[in-house]
Formats: sequence, structure tokens, C-alpha cells
Amino acid sequence: MIVAEEVTRVYRMGKVEVRALKGVSFTIADGEFVGITGASGSGKSTLLHILGLLDRPTSGRVLINGRNVQKLSDRQQTLFRLNRLGYVFQDYALIPELTAIENVIVTSLARGVSEKEYLKRGAEVLREVGLGDRINHRQSELSGGEQQRVAIARAIVNKPSILLADEPCANLDSETSKSILDLFKQLNEDLNQTIVMVSHEKWHERYFCRIIDLKDGLINSMRECDAGR
Amino acid sequence: MLENLRVASFLAFKQVQRGSKGTLILTIMIIALVFVNLVFLPSIISGVIETFNTQSINFNYGNLVIEPREGDQYISDADTLQKKVERIPGIVGTSPRISTGVTYFYKGRDARSTLYGINPQDERSVTTIHENMVRGEFLSAGDTDKIVMGATLAGTEGEAGGGLPTLQGVQVGDSVEVAFPNGERRTFQVKGIYETQSIGVDTSAFTTTGAVAQVLGLENQASEILVKTAVNGQEEMYRTRLLSYGIQQQVFTFRQKAAGFVDQAIQSFEIINAISTLVSLIIAVVVVFIVIFINTVNKRRQIGILKAIGIDKQIIINSYVLQVLFIATLGALVGIVLTSGVIYYLTINPLVFPGGPVFPVVEPATVARSIASLFAVSIVAGYIPAWKTAREDILDAIQR
Ligand SMILES: Nc1ncnc2c1ncn2[C@@H]1O[C@H](COP(=O)(O)OP(=O)(O)OP(=O)(O)O)[C@@H](O)[C@H]1O
Ligand SMILES: [Mg+2]
Repeated sequence: MIVAEEVTRVYRMGKVEVRALKGVSFTIADGEFVGITGASGSGKSTLLHILGLLDRPTSGRVLINGRNVQKLSDRQQTLFRLNRLGYVFQDYALIPELTAIENVIVTSLARGVSEKEYLKRGAEVLREVGLGDRINHRQSELSGGEQQRVAIARAIVNKPSILLADEPCANLDSETSKSILDLFKQLNEDLNQTIVMVSHEKWHERYFCRIIDLKDGLINSMRECDAGR
Repeated sequence: MLENLRVASFLAFKQVQRGSKGTLILTIMIIALVFVNLVFLPSIISGVIETFNTQSINFNYGNLVIEPREGDQYISDADTLQKKVERIPGIVGTSPRISTGVTYFYKGRDARSTLYGINPQDERSVTTIHENMVRGEFLSAGDTDKIVMGATLAGTEGEAGGGLPTLQGVQVGDSVEVAFPNGERRTFQVKGIYETQSIGVDTSAFTTTGAVAQVLGLENQASEILVKTAVNGQEEMYRTRLLSYGIQQQVFTFRQKAAGFVDQAIQSFEIINAISTLVSLIIAVVVVFIVIFINTVNKRRQIGILKAIGIDKQIIINSYVLQVLFIATLGALVGIVLTSGVIYYLTINPLVFPGGPVFPVVEPATVARSIASLFAVSIVAGYIPAWKTAREDILDAIQR
């Protein structure tokens, strides 16, 4: 369970303050598939960063399974990200020196998975996102959409209990988007993964249990969707 | 822990494998050249010291010198002492010498220097002057009216010695008159001329003990006895042994005898060496630091990404340290190859110093010390920027 309580985030740039989040509260149950929507600049990525332990709120707190994750040390947060979270960055954030499969399996390596197993699993996940024939390509040899799918594969390879995805389909055609969302749906259903996904597309709504809509750093609306009923 | 090393080496390997080859080669070459610099000068200085020691032993002193008891001018009963010393284990040669300051006269020219009275057979067992004859021959037993002369003292026609005693052109077969301190004058025929490159020896001359003893009225006496030991470099041990065998006279090692002049030179060299080593190391620190710093700073974003996906920062730091270790290892290896090349060249074409040709002597300790300092420097230079970057805020590193 993810609980956000009055989360704010203020960026200070010299004298100017940007209040990206102005007090956001919600609860996401285990196994929920939640969409976050809102205009550009409304604070979606900022919120996702905080849920992903990549950033700390200026005030308020985030509890994951009852635990105040802001209180964890840097090292504990790193371990938490490694073992519990999958994160798809809005700008993919691949490592250019590594091939597609190497990008995907770095975390498996750190988790102590055997080589045989992680190579098998890495190839499998890349196949699932439709990159079975690109596993040895490097970032510079992949299209934007392909890079995005490598980032998705990296986030799901270890079957994390929480998957956070920042516009994971932004660069994909609708057919590929659909297959990715189907994959997410499957993970959500089969493994009871909690998924929080930022999205712009109206038609994504049918995958979500719930939509949290942000506006200027505040929750504009929160509504159940088809999948949630 | 093992997992961590696994990830760190995986990342390090990929970075080296897929990173810029130019930067890699440049860094390796820089470390290699620093290594050459760290090893080269000490090897020349060791060579100078080695040359000097060998010269001192072979031409001036043997390994040990026995001198009269304090207050005495001569060792008395030199025969008995010589026999006694020769029976001590590890002593392979002894040569009693009588030395006296004399004036040499030749064709109206004169030169003040030393004349040694020696037993040619004994002298051969200690020094190698007899192997360095440039003209004529060395003395034989019974050569009481013959003399062998150093090349500087014999000199060259028309060349003044520049402060050194020289007779300017003595040839083998010529006669030279010698004036002794007691006023006696004797004429000797020059039997040979030797050249050792050791100034003190090349400005002196040798005749047989008999001739000098007769003029000075000595009987079974010696100014000094040179002692040759089985191996070089153990002089202190042999000196103690001689004393423990009850030698009553003063015993000096060749180093003690040669002190002063050379010690100062060596000290100066060692200061030069220390400064050069320090400068090399500072250059190494700066260069390795800059190269690795730039490399790491360029990797800021991916260090952030690695942290974001859950890689511990210590693993990230270790991966950079491993890269640096790899680079330093290659650098040291290339450095060893380069140094070997330079040393090989200088062994074939030795540098010539006043004491004679100097062959570089590479001491294992110097090599070990240089490698150790290079590694220490590289690790520091690799660790600090990686540590600094890995401490940064994740989003800062990824986004800006
Ligand atoms: N590091 C930062 N420093 C200053 N302001 C920032 C920073 N990051 C984000 N902001 C500001 O915070 C606000 C929210 O940004 P955020 O990235 O969360 O928006 P978003 O909803 O993800 O937008 P988009 O749909 O364009 O990705 C924006 O006004 C943005 O300019
Ligand atoms: Mg965003």
C-alpha cells in the first residue's frame, strides 16, 4: 500500500520558488493500476520521483506498506529501489555503454541472480516488449521507441512489487502502446503488481482502476475507471 | 560483498571495453612515462654508485684496508699479519703496500705524487690494475728498478695536466728519476702504463716493495695491507670478522676510506633523485587525476541512473577504482617495457662519467616502490571524483 500525506515539493532556484506539488494526499492499494494525468508542468513526474524514492518531499510524507520511506538512509533507499521498485523514466535513462540486454540485467546482477538465469530472463523480457532481435544493440543503435521499451524491460525484469512508469508509451505507436499496456495489465493481474503510470492518452483509461488527475500541483480529481469496477 | 564486486567489475569492464580508446591509451602512456621517469634516474644513480664502488675495490682499496695502529707510521711484522689474515675464511687476497710521497723527474719536468711499493704477485690477488695496462707490462717479482705508471701521470706530450700531476709524455722504456722524502734519488725504467679512470690511481706509480723498502730503510713493514674478500658488499661483516680474529691494527672498509668525496656526490644525487621522484609523482597525481576526473564527470548522468535503479554507490565507486587499477596495471607494464628499452640502450652505450662508464642499475626495490606509488596515486585519483559524483543527488545527476 502506498500512502501519500500532504506531499509538497518546492524547487528553489535562487529567489524564485517553484511549487511543483502543493499538498497531495491519496492511498493506492496493493495490486491497483493507477493512472496519473494532468497538463504539462502539473507535477506528475515530480510526484512519481517522490514515490520512487528518487526525491524527497519538501513536506508531508509517503508511506509504503506502512513504512515512512523518507526516513530510510540513502543506502536503504537504494536497496529498496533495487528490490521493490521498477521505474520507467520519462527520458528512458539508459546507460549508453551497455547493450539493451546489459541495461536490463544490471539490477539482476546486483541482486545476485545467476548468469544463466539473468541472461535467460533478460532475453525473455526484451522479447515481451518486442525487442527480441535487438538485445545486443546499444542505445545509439536503437530508435526512441525501442529505447523506451528497453527502459520498460529494465523496470519489470525483476518483477518488482511496485512499478512506476512516467509516460512509458510516449514514443510508441498505438499498436506497440497497446501491447505494452497489455503486458502491464498482465503483470498487474498475475503478480498483483501495483502500477502507477503517468499518461496523456484518453484511451489508456480503460486499463486503469483509478485516475488521479493533477492540476498545478494539486489533485484536481480522483475517479474510479472501468477496470476498477 | 562478492555480488558487489561482480557488478563493479561488470561495469568497469564494459566501460573500458566500450569507452574511448584514445583516452585509455593516452592515460596508459602517461602512467608508463611517469614510471620510466620514476625508475630511470635512480637506476643511473645506482649505476654511478656501483661504478664508484667497483672502482674503489678494484683499483684503490680492495674491500678492506688494514692500517697501522694509531700513532704508528707503518705496520710492523707485515709478513706475519699478512699470513694471519690470509688464513681467515672468506679472505681471497692480501697485498701489503708501502706508500710514499715522491717527486718524479722526466725531461726537465717534474710532478709530485705517490709511489707505491708492492709485491706484484700479492697485488694481482687484490686489485685489477694489472688488467688495465694500456702500454707495456705490469711488474714482476724482482723488478726493483722498474716502475709502472698511471696514464695521467705519464701524460701526453705537450698537454699540461690541468692541475693534476703529469710528466707529459712518458713512454714505456723511458727512465724516470724519483726523489724520495729522505732526499735519496733513484732512477727507474718505465715498464708499463696503466689506465683505470680512477684519478688517484692514474696519477700514481708502482714499483716493487724491495726498491722502496731499501731506499726508506724499511724491513718487513707496510703502510697498509689491502684485503680482498670472496664477495663484494659484505665489507662490514668481514671487517668484524677480521677484528674478531684478533687483528690489532685499524681495519677500514673501502667505503670508510672513500668517504667524503663520494658520499657528498651521492648525497647530491640522492637529493636530485628525491626531487625528481616527487615532481614525477605530483605530475602523475595531477595528470591521472585530471583524466579520470573528466572521465568520471562525463559519466555523471549514468552514475545517477545506476543509483536510481538501485545500484549502491559503493559499487559505482568500486567500478571506477577497478578501471583505474586496470589502467595503472597496463601503464606499469608498458612502463616496464619502455624502461627495459632505455636501460638496454644505455647498457650498450653507457653514459661516461669522470669515474668511468656508468651502467644503469635497476634495483627491484625502486621498481616496487614506483609501482606501489603509481597504484596509490591512481587509486586516489580514481576514487575521489567517483566518490564525489556518486554522492550527488540522483535527479541532479540525471537531469542536469
Ligand atoms: N529541478 C527542477 N527545478 C525547478 N523546477 C522544476 C524542476 N523540476 C520540475 N520543475 C518544475 O516543477 C513543475 C512540475 O514539473 P514536472 O516535471 O513534475 O511536470 P510534469 O507534470 O511531469 O510535466 P510533463 O508532462 O511536461 O512531463 C514544472 O513547473 C517544472 O518547471
Ligand atoms: Mg513529466
